[in-house]
Amino acid sequence: MAKLKLPVPPVPPQLKPLPKRPGKVYGPQTPIEHAGEAAATAVGWIDERTSLSGGARWMMFRKVPKGTNWFYTLGSATMFSFLSQAVTGVFLAMYYVPSSTRAYESIRTINNDVFLGEFVHGMHKWGSSMMVILIFLHMGRTFFFGAYKYPRELNWVIGVALLILTMTMSFTGYLLPFDQRSYWASIVGVNINGTGPLVGPYLSDFLRAGPNFGATTLSRFYAIHMLLVPGAIAALMGFHLFLVARLGTTAPPWVRAKSSEQLREEKVSS
Amino acid sequence: MNKQQKEQYLREYGQLKSQGKPFFPYAVAKDGAMAVLVMAIIITMSIVLGAELGPKADATTTTYTPRPEWYFFFLFELLRVIKPPALVPLATIGIPTICMILLFLLPFYDRNPERRPERRPIATTAGILTIAAMGFLTYLGASAGPPSEIDVPVPANVSAQGQMAVANFKAGQAVVAQSGCGGCHKFGENGNDGPGPELTEIGRRLPAAAIARTLVNPTAPMPSYQGLQKSNPKQFDEMVYFLSSLK
Amino acid sequence: MADRTPPKSKYTADRNIPGAFEGETVTRRRFMTGSAHTVGAVAAGAFALPALGFALGPVFEEKRQPWQAVGAETEFAGDTYVPRTITIDATVGDSGKSTVYLRKYNSAVDSEPRDDYNNYIAISTACMHLGCPVHFVTSAQRFICPCHGGVYDFVGKVTGGPPVRPLDRFYTRVEGGQVFVGPRFSVNSELKRFSPRDPGEPLDGVGQFLYPSRPTMRKLPNT
Repeated sequence: MAKLKLPVPPVPPQLKPLPKRPGKVYGPQTPIEHAGEAAATAVGWIDERTSLSGGARWMMFRKVPKGTNWFYTLGSATMFSFLSQAVTGVFLAMYYVPSSTRAYESIRTINNDVFLGEFVHGMHKWGSSMMVILIFLHMGRTFFFGAYKYPRELNWVIGVALLILTMTMSFTGYLLPFDQRSYWASIVGVNINGTGPLVGPYLSDFLRAGPNFGATTLSRFYAIHMLLVPGAIAALMGFHLFLVARLGTTAPPWVRAKSSEQLREEKVSS
Repeated sequence: MNKQQKEQYLREYGQLKSQGKPFFPYAVAKDGAMAVLVMAIIITMSIVLGAELGPKADATTTTYTPRPEWYFFFLFELLRVIKPPALVPLATIGIPTICMILLFLLPFYDRNPERRPERRPIATTAGILTIAAMGFLTYLGASAGPPSEIDVPVPANVSAQGQMAVANFKAGQAVVAQSGCGGCHKFGENGNDGPGPELTEIGRRLPAAAIARTLVNPTAPMPSYQGLQKSNPKQFDEMVYFLSSLK
Repeated sequence: MADRTPPKSKYTADRNIPGAFEGETVTRRRFMTGSAHTVGAVAAGAFALPALGFALGPVFEEKRQPWQAVGAETEFAGDTYVPRTITIDATVGDSGKSTVYLRKYNSAVDSEPRDDYNNYIAISTACMHLGCPVHFVTSAQRFICPCHGGVYDFVGKVTGGPPVRPLDRFYTRVEGGQVFVGPRFSVNSELKRFSPRDPGEPLDGVGQFLYPSRPTMRKLPNT
């Protein structure tokens, strides 16, 4: 008896299984191999919907000029110390109470009772000194290498704004532990603002939220230290970094490009 | 910079960049190493020095000596150095504001296209001088002691006279410190420079009798210590002994 | 810039826009651009103005200083100061207190005219340079500031260093044998009374106009 051959159902060509490729097959085959590619798949999924990989590639694989040395790590180190301040600050805020009657006790609790409390507090405290030192060193490098000149003038201006904001951070943060040192340093600091003619007296009233050191002075300093200035620093830092990537980092001023023989000849003939 | 100089710079920079290396991983590796170093320093400082907390804020104190954080010492010293009351707003607001404006506008008034520090003598010298001035003010601010304390080494001729003389000297030092002399006079690192003359070596200029006479009958605005001489002659004598041994 | 295209006429009639009439300049696009800006400004103002007012409110709010007893009349002499603690702001615990130096009016040193408010002289401990705590040194009869070198004489006038005016004072009055301390006021170098100012704000010459008194604190009327 001849074998009965059933008719093939009409399948649209898109759904027909692809014929096997000849030769060796690359890429994941078994489900386990597919699972191993999960990270790449997830990144691919996000990139398909955001097209961010172009920007990341532009940021990470741009060329830095030759001669770039250790002095060029000061800027990123400043940013890194800011990140460290942000993280330790968030954890300190979980225990800190911004009230003039309880602030000192809450810092004592952090230091004495909280697990690793004094360590995190110390990191925040010494990290602030570190950030101030690094931002000054970074500014010194920019100044002596002439890196603020064309086309990077705007980035210098943003950098000075970041320096002032960093000093504002250290001034407002200094009051928060509420010990003798911080209290009197803040009194003097507020009065320094008050010596500005005409607007000064109103500015000190604004900083203290009244004519004297009062109930809401500490929370004002806390809000400025915690939210206002860090937000401004993060935004300006992002713009600063964008401009660095856009314009490229400078080469040390004494490094000269080696131009090829051919180019030199063209110059002579023109 | 004119258009030609701008183009020349961009061309040169373009060549340098094309001969360079990609940011990742070459520069990132250096940045990462630096970040690890920074973190190591912060963690070491935190473990070794900790986060010391002073006594609780006390607004009623009359004996506390306020001092700022170290990176504001230069401003603190500037406020100490500028004495005339009419110039106070200059020290508090004026000079810092001018410095900030000068910093902001640096790329706009420094139009020199040259970038090598050794070929920009004015900018480089100004930068080094600014750093040196800030460093010097920071040092002075850090070493400024409160006017209510005096800490001078015991002179050789006093220690040569034996234990009694040294004890007398120390007692006199304490009396002078409590009597507010540091408000107007300088003793070594402590006290204020003016309106009175520096007393670090007063014993060389005046004999003990003359010092005692000045303390009782001073020229204005110095206060008379006749009250102390009457109520506590021992302390007055210690004071005179201390001052006359400052050589 | 010779290669710029000539600017378009602002009149719709000149630009052959359908429905244009003589003298009209506002096109549909112009109108929509204007509305977008207006709506944006209103929306931003709707949250920015209340927030600003909220932050600035305390600058215009007057804080009254209550009178408080500091001791019997017999506790204060005319030739030396006695420190007393007063409460400036009762809501903030210890940081709302302050120390004042008190003594009796002494016609040998005090030259200002006597009235109901200065039978006892109450001197603030805030240095008038930048507000550090001054200390009265009895043997020298001087107020000495530990910060930047300010020195004041027995009545609080500046004798050395950078302070810009004499030490601030407090109104005092006597009731039933008790001395009461009231609001603070500032004085110029002739010890004339002014509305309270912050440290570092001179009151001589044009100083009182350069550093105006603020709504948060005013001098007692008729004093």
